[in-house]
Amino acid sequence: MTRQLANATLAILLAAGARAAVPPAPAGAPGKHADDSCIGCHAKLDDVRLRKPAELATADIHHAQGISCAGCHGGDPTSGDPTVAMDPRKGFVGKFAPRAIPEMCGSCHSNAAYMLRYAPNIPTDQLSQYRTSKHGLALAKGATDVAVCSSCHGAHGVRPPSDARSPVYPTRVVDTCARCHADVALMNRYGIKGNEVEEYKKSVHYAALTEKNDLSAPTCKSCHGAHGATPPGVDSVANVCGTCHVFQLERFDLSPHKDAFTAMDQPACEACHSNHAIGHPQDSWIGVADKQVCGACHSAGDAGAVAAATISGALSKAAASEAAVRERVGRVKRAGMLMDAADIKLEEAHQSYVMAEVEIHTVTVARVEKQTQAVLAATSAADKDAAAAEAEIRFRRTGLFVSLAVIAVAMVTLALKIRSMER
Amino acid sequence: MRALDKLWQALDQRLELDPIVEFVAHKVVPRHRHSWAYYFGGFTMFFFFVQVATGILLLLYYRPTAEAAFESVQFIVTRVPFGWLVRSVHSWSANLMILSAFAHMFSVYFMGSYAKPRELTWWSGFALLGLAMGFGFSGYLLPWNQLSFFATQVGTDMVSKVPFAGAWLLKFLRGGNEVTGATLTRFFGFHVAVLPMLTALLLAGHLAFIQRQGMHVPASLEEEAKKRKPIRFVPNFMLREGVVWLLGLAALAALAAFFPWELGIKADPFSSAPAGIKPEWYFLFMFETLKLLPAHLLGIEGELLGLGAFALGGLVWFLVPVLDRGGRVGRRSRAFLALGWVVLAYIVGFTFASFAGVFK
Repeated sequence: MTRQLANATLAILLAAGARAAVPPAPAGAPGKHADDSCIGCHAKLDDVRLRKPAELATADIHHAQGISCAGCHGGDPTSGDPTVAMDPRKGFVGKFAPRAIPEMCGSCHSNAAYMLRYAPNIPTDQLSQYRTSKHGLALAKGATDVAVCSSCHGAHGVRPPSDARSPVYPTRVVDTCARCHADVALMNRYGIKGNEVEEYKKSVHYAALTEKNDLSAPTCKSCHGAHGATPPGVDSVANVCGTCHVFQLERFDLSPHKDAFTAMDQPACEACHSNHAIGHPQDSWIGVADKQVCGACHSAGDAGAVAAATISGALSKAAASEAAVRERVGRVKRAGMLMDAADIKLEEAHQSYVMAEVEIHTVTVARVEKQTQAVLAATSAADKDAAAAEAEIRFRRTGLFVSLAVIAVAMVTLALKIRSMER
Repeated sequence: MRALDKLWQALDQRLELDPIVEFVAHKVVPRHRHSWAYYFGGFTMFFFFVQVATGILLLLYYRPTAEAAFESVQFIVTRVPFGWLVRSVHSWSANLMILSAFAHMFSVYFMGSYAKPRELTWWSGFALLGLAMGFGFSGYLLPWNQLSFFATQVGTDMVSKVPFAGAWLLKFLRGGNEVTGATLTRFFGFHVAVLPMLTALLLAGHLAFIQRQGMHVPASLEEEAKKRKPIRFVPNFMLREGVVWLLGLAALAALAAFFPWELGIKADPFSSAPAGIKPEWYFLFMFETLKLLPAHLLGIEGELLGLGAFALGGLVWFLVPVLDRGGRVGRRSRAFLALGWVVLAYIVGFTFASFAGVFK
């Protein structure tokens, strides 16, 4: 029946010449239904479990495209008789078993030619990715408590991921994952701690997403994949982080740590930065003392510890210089001087400082020092501007007092003259 | 000295300067307990002279285009020797000129000096204050910074509310539908050519009327003025005026040195309007009033109603010499005295409340 309806719809479209270039609907794909008794009846039902899908349908992207309930559930939506409309012989399926859902969604979403009719650039590899995911693999082994398409996207009322109300929209996807991944008992069954989301919410990535409203900030799916969700292995951690932190990865690849970490089976970035609760990197992390990251492998006196101390010293000196000059320039600005040139130099200094922090990943002292020297050169130039401005302020104030004195003398002279005239 | 005498004689032979000398020698200023009020007019004129002098200096470097205006002012205050001083003095003096003009207007009002036969002096003074505010409004845009750009957008938008001619007036002021470089060039033209010319003409008239009619003495002070010896205009009053002008100069120098006028950031027409857009302080009482009005009142747009009320208020203020019939015979009605206090309290109250953030 579904196939017939699909073909009929296509025939009408072709006859109208509206979409002559659109490829034909695949066999078994849901069709569009002009008459739909499903929503009409279900919307009136007392049982909220049966009424809710009808209420949600109006917000559903499939429904908006004309694919109604029967597109997924089958049956005969043209009939007002429930026994006919929901006749299993007409392909009707009431509630899908979890295992059936990916295949059912994939019947359209894996068909590139069919999906082209609705969204030319939509990916069609979700099902094949899902099959490789931890969710898909567990489902294949018979687990029923793993995520399927509807677990994340919703079953009814499905919205496109670009819709801010969608459960997979960047600002909501973390809580969507958390629905299962914060369930410690469920996660423990799969050898997962269940505190990952809680940890992630302490990270700079989550802060960027929620405080700066940066929708490009990484969420769970950015590192684990969405449909092919799986933890990145030790070998691929650097590649995952490197998709955004390109320069850091490039520098890390130049460093002696690359081979050393591989030999020690250490995940590259994670070894120093952790995984979910990634905090803002601090220069104070560099060193072998307590709470410093180098101490995990190096100990006081070895070559690594010496390099770390030198790098840390160079960074501290550059940071202190930048802060001091920035403060001095700010003070001069508050006195009313225009310090645009100094601001540009301070910006250059800061850029060099950021580059020095990037160069830390090479763990090569000379490369870091090259950048910190650039910081010191730029701050020194800005400092000269501030000193010149301070001298100008002194000159102006001296000039003011001299002119005020001249004006005062003139005023007194005039007053005396008036007095002598009017006596 | 002999050469000067000869020059004077030569001029006198040709121009017959004696009547002028006679007039100047006998010109006096009445002396009473409110004689201080006579200094405000000259004080305002002093600031106007400072504006002309510093304005000409700024013209040497200022470039009136959207691309170069901000940078040229930046160049003036950072690179041109004493450019910072000239620009700051120009900005501060503009504000002190308006403040002094308001003080002059209210002192004249409260002394009832607007009454017949001095109606023309009042009207020319009223027009001069309007021109001074026009100078302020047009000059505010010239540095082409973010705040002035958006404030001008809001300010010019108000003329679009004028019935019938609003759309045309908006286009005339802006030189297009939006505030652009065309607006800047236009405002520059108003600021350095049209307004100065009109001001010079009106100021000449205003001064001529005062010279012709002499200083007004309020009826309540006539007795005192008769008893006390008047001040000779030349040289006594002029020297006294000189002391006041020097005080103004000292104030300008101190303000420019300690509170240099800010330049802000360059206007970006594509950015969103910055928070806290405010016009110059002398427009604040109108700005805040218009903000307080509801969107619609009695079926008319609130802003239009507000602007209409200001226009009507301005007209009443302008016509005070005609409306206050008692004023002509030195018996000013209590109603007009009360009106003066209400207007003063409203302007001062709203301006201070705006600075205090009461209307946020």
